Amino acid sequence: MDEKTVYDHLRESGFSRRDFMKFCGLLSGMMGLEFLPAAKLLGAAAGPSAAELVAGALKSKPRVPVIWLELQDCAGCTEAVSRSQSPSLVNLVLNKITVDYQETLMAAAGFQAEAARREAMARYKGQYVLVVEGSPSVDADGVFCVIGGKSGLDILRETAADAAAVIAVGNCAAFGGLPKAKPNPTGARAVSEIIADKPIINIPGCPAIPEVTTGTIAHFLIMGALPATDGLKRPVTFYGHTIHDHCLRRPFYDAGKFVERFDDKEARAGYCLYKMGCKGPTTYNACPSLKWEKGLSYPVQSGHPCLGCSEPDFWDGGGFYKGQSAPVEQPTIAAAGISAGVGVALGAVLAGANSVKKRKAGKPGASGPDESAK
Amino acid sequence: MDWTTILRFFRGPFFVVSLLIFIGGMTYRLVRVLLLGWSRDRVKSRGSKAMGVLKSYAKGVLVLPFIPWVKRTFGNNALTYLAGGLFHLSLLTVVVFGTPHMLVWKSLLGFGWPTLPFPVIDWLSAVGIIALVLLLINRLTHPVLKLITRAPLWLNWILVFLPFVTGYAMTHHLCLRYEVFFSLHMIAVDLLLIWIPFGRISHFLFYFFSRTIHGAQAGKRAVNP
Repeated sequence: MDEKTVYDHLRESGFSRRDFMKFCGLLSGMMGLEFLPAAKLLGAAAGPSAAELVAGALKSKPRVPVIWLELQDCAGCTEAVSRSQSPSLVNLVLNKITVDYQETLMAAAGFQAEAARREAMARYKGQYVLVVEGSPSVDADGVFCVIGGKSGLDILRETAADAAAVIAVGNCAAFGGLPKAKPNPTGARAVSEIIADKPIINIPGCPAIPEVTTGTIAHFLIMGALPATDGLKRPVTFYGHTIHDHCLRRPFYDAGKFVERFDDKEARAGYCLYKMGCKGPTTYNACPSLKWEKGLSYPVQSGHPCLGCSEPDFWDGGGFYKGQSAPVEQPTIAAAGISAGVGVALGAVLAGANSVKKRKAGKPGASGPDESAK
Repeated sequence: MDWTTILRFFRGPFFVVSLLIFIGGMTYRLVRVLLLGWSRDRVKSRGSKAMGVLKSYAKGVLVLPFIPWVKRTFGNNALTYLAGGLFHLSLLTVVVFGTPHMLVWKSLLGFGWPTLPFPVIDWLSAVGIIALVLLLINRLTHPVLKLITRAPLWLNWILVFLPFVTGYAMTHHLCLRYEVFFSLHMIAVDLLLIWIPFGRISHFLFYFFSRTIHGAQAGKRAVNP
């Protein structure tokens, strides 16, 4: 393991002490350390502030190596991270502190790249964090995604075997994403379905928010463990609230003021996008608070309904522009017709049988309540 | 299995099956009623059947809700009358004019309509829940009602109450996560859809039959419905 601490690396990058403390404050604030039980465990309750806690960790701990795999993906999460303009955090965590292997960003290619991965694995055995972007394909022994003559599935298993923790970035890695959408021709799976014997965390999104990705890596670096997660293995710090909870258009929802078409005057007035299919009420993510592009905006703010991209199987969720409350599937006209037809037929048959029975009961000589009454 | 998957199942395949059972069941009930047969009308009409039907509906919509004391039920048990009336008002308004519900109708029918603001729907939902609780207490304490209430009627109450209370809890983020209550809401709604053709809640359809027929009979005899 590299003996230099994170602080040493930052100082070499030209960081002043003031920059460093600002960075620590940013990290602690973003990770919500004040509220985390882990922070108390590390002594936050005993006196030092969360920023001081982060500073202490960065000054004493060596960098955490990261191996970043790309499987069945579009590299969108990598693009999001690499193009993020957020101050210091992404650049520092990913470019200066951690990443040892990243297929899209690294200069090496082909055999050299694969050799770099194996070298990093051997050098940091049991210590590196494995970030996976894209879903592994399991059908036909993973032949649909082959890198350097090896299936993505094999590479994932091989690399995860010696990892300290696994971070599944993006909806594809976390839940299967687009490759898993019906009819799932490659047999795409979530990473957590393949790797079961390692600490694993999901950072879903399409793409994942860069600050959430790097914030989770930073958490591992500072705390030495993955952050607390919800039932879908997502960090609660970033996925604790729905888009709807913190939506800036929420007052319009409450007032019943909705956009009816993308080009109507309500759309220009910034009304609620619920009727346009916004999946905000059932989507847990940090978009409204972290936003994108230096906190400039996020889809709902820009006038587009939330697609629910941090939820499992969102591609098969019944249509992006269909109401969030609408059923995922509807019966076809034919099925409804058949159902009604069965009802009519059954009703007619039983009514007919009843009629025949009544007629028989009414005939002279037939036994029945009327006859006995006579 | 996580709640998102459960929710998807009860908003997807199970909802479809429930709706098909509802459609088939209600069609069956309708056919059975229609094929009970109509006795031949041998008496000369003394008035207008159409006018009788019109008066019958006008009384149902305009008179009974606002001047309830013209009906004996109100005098006998005002609580049942008021709670029952408010419950029906709440149910119809929430199911038809609540935005999330309208979007369900839109997905099924292909067209939508304007909806009411959230606070209005919210308060009406609360009114519906309180009315249902009052009706339950009344049913539990009234000796005659207690005597004639059998299991299907208790099931009616439960299956109507559950969608109300889960929907309310869902929008207010009470206790459990949104998708948990959403799943419970959908399970309750699906079960209700399946149950409706088998129970007395089918009166939502037969109400119109009885009001039309009684109105027509009254109109024919030139008396007020």
